[in-house]
Order: sequence, then structure tokens, then C-alpha cells
Amino acid sequence: MHSQAMFFRARADERVDNPVLQRALAKAKPLFVGKRAKGIEGLADDGMEFEALRQAAAAIRNRVVDDLDVWLEIFEERARATGAEVLWARDGKEICQLVIDVARRHGVTKAVKSKSMLSEEASLNEALAGAGIRPVETDLGEYIVQLAGEAPSHIIAPAVHKTLAEVEALFACHHGRSPLPRTAADIPALAGEARQVLRQHFLSAEMGISGANFLIAETGSAALVTNEGNGRMVTSLPKVHVVITGIEKIVPTLEDFATLMRLLPRSATGQTISNYVSLLTGTRRPGEAEGAEKTVYILVDNGRAGLLGSPWQDMLRCIRCGACMNHCPVYFSVGGHAYGWVYPGPMGSVLTPLYTGLENALDLPHASTGCNQCGAVCPVGIPLSRLLHDLREAQVARGLRPRRERLGMWAWGRLARWPGLYRWCARRAARYLAWLGGAEGRIRVFGLAPGWTAGRDLPAPSGRTFHELHSSRQTKIG
Amino acid sequence: MSSREIILARVRAKLGRSDAAGRRTRAEAALAAPLRGPQPVVGDDPAGRFCAKASALASTVERVPAAADVPAAVTRYLDAAGLGRCAVGAADLATFDWAAAGLAVAWRGAVDADTVGLTGSFCAIAETGTLVLLSGPRTPASLSLLPETHVAVVFADRIVATLEDAFALLRREEGEIPRSLNLISGPSRTGDIEQTIVLGAHGPRRVHLVVVG
Repeated sequence: MHSQAMFFRARADERVDNPVLQRALAKAKPLFVGKRAKGIEGLADDGMEFEALRQAAAAIRNRVVDDLDVWLEIFEERARATGAEVLWARDGKEICQLVIDVARRHGVTKAVKSKSMLSEEASLNEALAGAGIRPVETDLGEYIVQLAGEAPSHIIAPAVHKTLAEVEALFACHHGRSPLPRTAADIPALAGEARQVLRQHFLSAEMGISGANFLIAETGSAALVTNEGNGRMVTSLPKVHVVITGIEKIVPTLEDFATLMRLLPRSATGQTISNYVSLLTGTRRPGEAEGAEKTVYILVDNGRAGLLGSPWQDMLRCIRCGACMNHCPVYFSVGGHAYGWVYPGPMGSVLTPLYTGLENALDLPHASTGCNQCGAVCPVGIPLSRLLHDLREAQVARGLRPRRERLGMWAWGRLARWPGLYRWCARRAARYLAWLGGAEGRIRVFGLAPGWTAGRDLPAPSGRTFHELHSSRQTKIG
Repeated sequence: MSSREIILARVRAKLGRSDAAGRRTRAEAALAAPLRGPQPVVGDDPAGRFCAKASALASTVERVPAAADVPAAVTRYLDAAGLGRCAVGAADLATFDWAAAGLAVAWRGAVDADTVGLTGSFCAIAETGTLVLLSGPRTPASLSLLPETHVAVVFADRIVATLEDAFALLRREEGEIPRSLNLISGPSRTGDIEQTIVLGAHGPRRVHLVVVG
């Protein structure tokens, strides 16, 4: 996907003022937060603790990342032994080329897709359409955003920004029927309509494209976690199955997979387990009348290797549960599309600059209140607010901050070297702001930073600096 | 250089770790002796727990005392729900006397027009109320996917405590993993329109479990 992350501020502004989006987000947030909380609380009923599980999960992911070369080779050997083909892609362009080559070799005209964020990184749908192959998204949320000509706004709830009325309008238009007045009671009918339309696509497509939640080194398998069943259809009905995954997605054993499965659904949707967890291994076996005859893995770098050995290596533990965005005050103010690339929320604010270039996503590391709710809920213990902070430092180190800010920091730095002068200036500023705040103690319009007071008042300081208060207190104690 | 070599070289360079052979040996050793993470306390009635968890996930459950009672129980369920008396089934269930219970079963994989899919199960998991189904010539995975109704037979003595126990059973009895291993926990569902849960997204709308013993 072509990144629009450099326009984060403008995109965020538009969305803060969009009442339809704000309504959709306001409805979703308490549900996401509440469901996860209940799911995590439920661990205690079975005598388990979140913290212990999280440490175990982080250790599994670290083990893989620390020896990634070795695990990739083991996975490749074992997957090949089951009859699968294993291909490698450096970037999005190569993913598209490999998928189109496989499609052409097998005479594919239509590909059904189960949700894959990596295919969004590669803009695979556009590439397929350009090659005369029709891509059909089959996850209901992905299907809705595909009809709308949009990108997903959330990694596990792609259409969270769409209201019922918008879905109805899209379905009426694309399914060739007149629009109907709809209430929440009609949601099952809309889901049923999509089921019927997509069922025909599942049965007629020659190729299925999916991601994988994990690759299991022990068995050379892809693990797919879904609720709708579309993942099972995509990976078993068409004659060709292509799995596109990042190189970091490996877990060593089935036992390790089991540990991660105690955290992934709970963190994502609060479920103890998702409806369908499928382990797919190789191709159709002798005597079987169904199942893919050709299975191709595409192992993708697209920036991931660059994180190894860097201050951001922790990010490679990510299992894409979405808990960080579900608990992010920034995400729920601006929605996923404001972030401008594939991944929104805190994990997106870390990944987008690292995968598309620090200079192409300058605002994202700052799209954080520093509250660290994301880090607190992360099931693999990724220190997201620390990583965002490190990205801010990297911007400064590379001289990427705006000229005014750099100049301001330089001036402040100079001033701080002269404590007497610094105190004198601080006193003047504190008195001035107190005077500006008046009797109410609030500044309604602040001339130096008018944007800051556009949406809220600035509380005025009392008129005395910290130094003054501190020395007066010291004198009293003395 | 191929993309494979370029990516692996980049990974090795960034990791900056030597002793590839030693690391490989340690990784192989970890695979040969898999370790379990924190385990749940599942209790001493796995069958009871399995039934309770499966019901909570919107499956319907009936317990019957013996295998001979299964066909009549399935017919009863289908009649009560008005689902007719035709099904497609997995050949490993062909030994039951379905004709005596008035049920016509075709032993093959499912197609779009089939309304009821009948399967056994490799085992089931008490921890989460989950069925474990293995694909194979006699157990096509389409049976639990395409029809609107999935009826599964579970033997109580095949209900294990945890997911790890199911994997241990798989290694012991099958030796290898099939083309598709499906963990199924209730009817398919979606919450993609305004976070409202709807049952029957792409897979079955109903999952009925007959638990034997």
C-alpha cells in the first residue's frame, strides 16, 4: 500500500470531525475493552495468570527471533517435506510477482482471499486485478471494505469504521437490489446475504490466498485462526493455496502454539478460543478427494530483517491481536485510516516508520499520549511506548524534526546552561501566564500555540516557578 | 543471489550471531522434546466440562449412555429442528445402524447443496469445549464446513483436558499431522457489522454434539 502516513495530522483532523466515524468508534471501544477484560479475567477460573502466560509467550517469540535464520531453515525443510513449495519475497513487489506467477501457471482467473495484512503491505489486490485475476476478499469485514474501495481500518475488525447504514448501501449497490430501511435486527440478514454471494466465489475460485497467524516449525504447518470459517474455505476448496507470511511468524512446536493460543483470541476478542483454528500441512494426501493440490508458502521480509539487532527488535514478537489499538485513546479519536498505511494504532505507529522510512511517517511516533495502555495489554510484552519514544529520539538524531522545533530546543538548551538567566526567564514567563489566566486561572486563547487552545483551555500556572516554591519550602523546613 | 539467500544473509548479518551449527542442534533438540507452557486446571470431570464449555459457545449437546443410542439421538435432534432426515457423513461412522433410526446418510465429502454434515471426532478438548477433527480419505473436512448443520459424535473417553493433550494424542496415535487439522468450537460467527455477533457466517449455523458415555 502506498503510504499516506506523512499526512497523519490532516487525515486525523478530518476524522475527528466526522460524526459517522465517531459514532462507529464510540460504539466499538467499550465492547473491545470489555470483551478482552472478561477474557483475561477468565484465566483465573482455570488457575492461570496473565502475567505468567505473557512471559511464556514472550519467551517463545524471543527464542524464534533470536535464532530466526535457523528456524526459517527448519520450517522450510519441513514444509517442503510435506509437499509444499516454499518461496521467498524481499518486498511487496516480489510478493505480487510470485503470486501472479503461481496463478498464471495454474490458469487462475479468480482468487478468494482470507484476511492477510501482508497482502495489504504489497497492494496485492491491485496487482492481481492488473494481471486479469479477480481477487475476492471473504472475511465479512474485508469484503465490506473491498466493496467500498477502502483499506481495512483495524487489523482484526477491518470494517469497524462502517455503520449498518453504510453496509446496507454498499450491499444494495453491489448485489443489485434496492436499498432497504435497516435496523440492528437486520444484521443477520445482511450477513446471510454476504454468505450467499461469497459461497459461490468459494466454489468457483481456482486459488485461495491466506496469511497465517503462525508457522509451526515442528510440523511445517500454517496455523489459521478465524471465526467465520472463510479461512477454512479459502485454504481447502480451491486447487491452489498460497500462504503469505512474514518471516517472523514462526513458532517452534505445537506446545508453543498452544501457549500462544491461550492469549491470542483472549487479547483480540475476549474469546477463550476462536471458532476455527486450523493447522494446514502440505497438500492433498493419497486417497483424499478434497484439499489443495498445490500449496505455496511465500516467506516475506519487507523490512522485518531490518529490525533484528536494532532497538526495535521487540516489535518482531507481535502476534497481531489488535489489543494495543483496542486500548489506545489516539486510535479511538482518529480511527485506523488516519494512520495512512496498513497497520494502525500503537503497533502501526511503530511499524509504519520502520517499514516505510522514518522520514515518511514523522507524526506517528508522536501519535501517543504516553499512557502505555498498549504496553500493559500486549500479550507478548512489547514495550510499545518505549519503542515510540525511541523512534522520536531517532528522528532527532537524524535531524528529521521541523526547523522551528530544532531551533526552539537549541535555544532552550543554551538557556539551560545559564541557571541565573534561566530562572529569571522562567519567573517572567510564569508571571506572564498567570496574568494571562486572570481570576479564572485558565488561558482560553494562547497566542504562541493557538492550536493547543483550539479545543481546550490551558490551565495557567500559579505565578511562581518551581524553584521559587522549592526554596520557600526549604526555608520553612530549615 | 536468490531472494532466499539475500533474506537469510540479511537476517544473519543483523542478528550477528555465530555458531550456526550449534544453534541448529539446540533448535532440533527443542523440537524433539517439546516443553509445555503454563497449564490450565481443568478439573476431574473432563466430559462435564467439555459439554458446559461447548454449550457456552452456542453448540447444542446431548449425552447418551452408549454408542448404540447415537443414531436415534441424531434423528431426534434433526426432527426437533425440522432439518429433514438426509445427511452426508464421514465413513468412520458407517458402522452405526443409521437405517434403523430412519436416517439416510451418504458417505462422502459435502457439496454446497448438502444440509447436514455428520462427523465423528479424533478427540475433544475439555479446556475450551473444542472438537478436534483430522482430514483424511474417510474423514473429509468439508463435512464440518459446507452444510448449515454439523452434527458430531464425541466419545467421552476421547475427551482430553488440554490442547497439549490433544497434540500428544495425535503424535502417539497418528505419528503425523494430516493435511488439515481443525479445532472447531461452535457454529461459525462474525461480528463485523457493528460488532453484533451473528451465527452462521460462512460455515455451519448449528453445531450439535452427541456425547457418548
